[in-house]
Amino acid sequence: MAGVNAFLGGAKGRLLPAALVFRYFASALLFHALAWIALFFAAPTLPGFVGGLGWPLAALHLVTLGVLVMTAIATSLQLLPVASRQTLVPSHWPYDLVWLAFTIGVAALCAGMAIALPALLGAGALAVTLALLLYLFLLARNLYGARGMRLVIVHGWAACLSLLLLVGTGLSLAGAYSAAPVLDRQTALTLHVTFGGYGFMGMLVMGFSYILVPMFALSDNPAPRWSNLSVTLAIVALALVLLTAVDVLPPRLFALAIAAGAVAFLIHVALMLQALHNGMRQGLGKSFVLVRLGWAALAVSFFVALAWDYQTPSALPPGLFVVLLIGGLLTLLLGVLSRIVPFLASMHAATGMRRPPTPSGLTAQRPLDIHFYSHIAALVLLLLSLLSGTVWLVRTSALLGLVGALAFGVFFVTAWRRMTA
Amino acid sequence: MTDAPITRQPGEHWNDADGVHIEVRGLVPPAPFVQIIRLIESLPVASAIIVHHDRDPLPLYDELAQRGWSARRIEGDAGEFRLRLAKDF
Repeated sequence: MAGVNAFLGGAKGRLLPAALVFRYFASALLFHALAWIALFFAAPTLPGFVGGLGWPLAALHLVTLGVLVMTAIATSLQLLPVASRQTLVPSHWPYDLVWLAFTIGVAALCAGMAIALPALLGAGALAVTLALLLYLFLLARNLYGARGMRLVIVHGWAACLSLLLLVGTGLSLAGAYSAAPVLDRQTALTLHVTFGGYGFMGMLVMGFSYILVPMFALSDNPAPRWSNLSVTLAIVALALVLLTAVDVLPPRLFALAIAAGAVAFLIHVALMLQALHNGMRQGLGKSFVLVRLGWAALAVSFFVALAWDYQTPSALPPGLFVVLLIGGLLTLLLGVLSRIVPFLASMHAATGMRRPPTPSGLTAQRPLDIHFYSHIAALVLLLLSLLSGTVWLVRTSALLGLVGALAFGVFFVTAWRRMTA
Repeated sequence: MTDAPITRQPGEHWNDADGVHIEVRGLVPPAPFVQIIRLIESLPVASAIIVHHDRDPLPLYDELAQRGWSARRIEGDAGEFRLRLAKDF
């Protein structure tokens, strides 16, 4: 393998330093554990939660910003240059600054939400905004220079625009706690949830899936006709949400937006399932069971949203939609992360002067197994607790989720230690 | 320096004196990666494979190592990243 290592040196320009990428992932996993702890404290108020400062809001943002967005930043900044033949920004300080500002910002924002301290929340929101705008610049630079990946690029630009709306509405919502809202709360909330969950995270996840899923499964790229239809419908859906939320279009078209989004997502999932089915590598293990569960939860979230839009929420607890959307994204992302971490670790190890370890050699399977069962049990219990309004079920869910988060942390640390051994 | 013109179709493979060649320039990721692995899996005899690529295919190396293959960069046309893949013995 000496030959492999000799020319991999030329690829270093497309790899961020391992310590930098893994610092993002480590922070995400720390916030992951903190989110379950916050959920434990949120238990008494969670079943009837409809908004406002407190532990439920803190737990939610520890997951959304701390885990989902943190991981999305690291993954997009690393994988896009690898896939698109680009060298990175020569200096690494922008990546360091994004991580620092974002980590401190999320910690302050969530602490401010948990203890109901608007000033701390506001300071955290500003730091998060700074980090996300700098990240947006780095992502846009990568997208602008990317070649030969039209589908991923279109998803990426949609994610960029969604991020702008996510940040803007987030600032408005945070400002509302200091009596300085820019937008009407309901409008801001609708746009914040839509463009955060489906716009930014959803578009990034779908875009990268078109590369990662066929790559892991060793299958052909999905048919362009269907993937183009999926992304077009997704963008139309997001545009309809925006235009109905700001009263440019009548509110009744909101249901059309949800339906278009649902069809876009179902086409995407069908393409991914086809890729998995036709791939040379079958049996991708528990990681892809998590991915499939994530897809299922996200698909159901569209129908819950539709039910709400048709004013039939009486039997549906308010948190159900949030758990399906955020829990679905989290489950999907953790499944992918359990593949990406050893994959990236192996690529980084290969830049050394020795035979590179394989991803499977860097994977600690037992912690992943513990995480798998704990995570699924935690989410099922959380859904049951919301449907039954039972506080102890929320607490049990939080404890199981914490066990899973810690197990995932062990998997991550093991991959790092084996990579650097 | 301008890139040399590509005369083969993306995904095309052919036999030559130095081994089986595969042209993956112009394919959308991860198709180059998948096509190379598919070619390796389909070869009745583990002859050398010459890959005509437009980039350093980072994810490929682990997959090769798992199959007992190794890769070496060799001289190619301008703008090309040419690799010679061979089975380890």
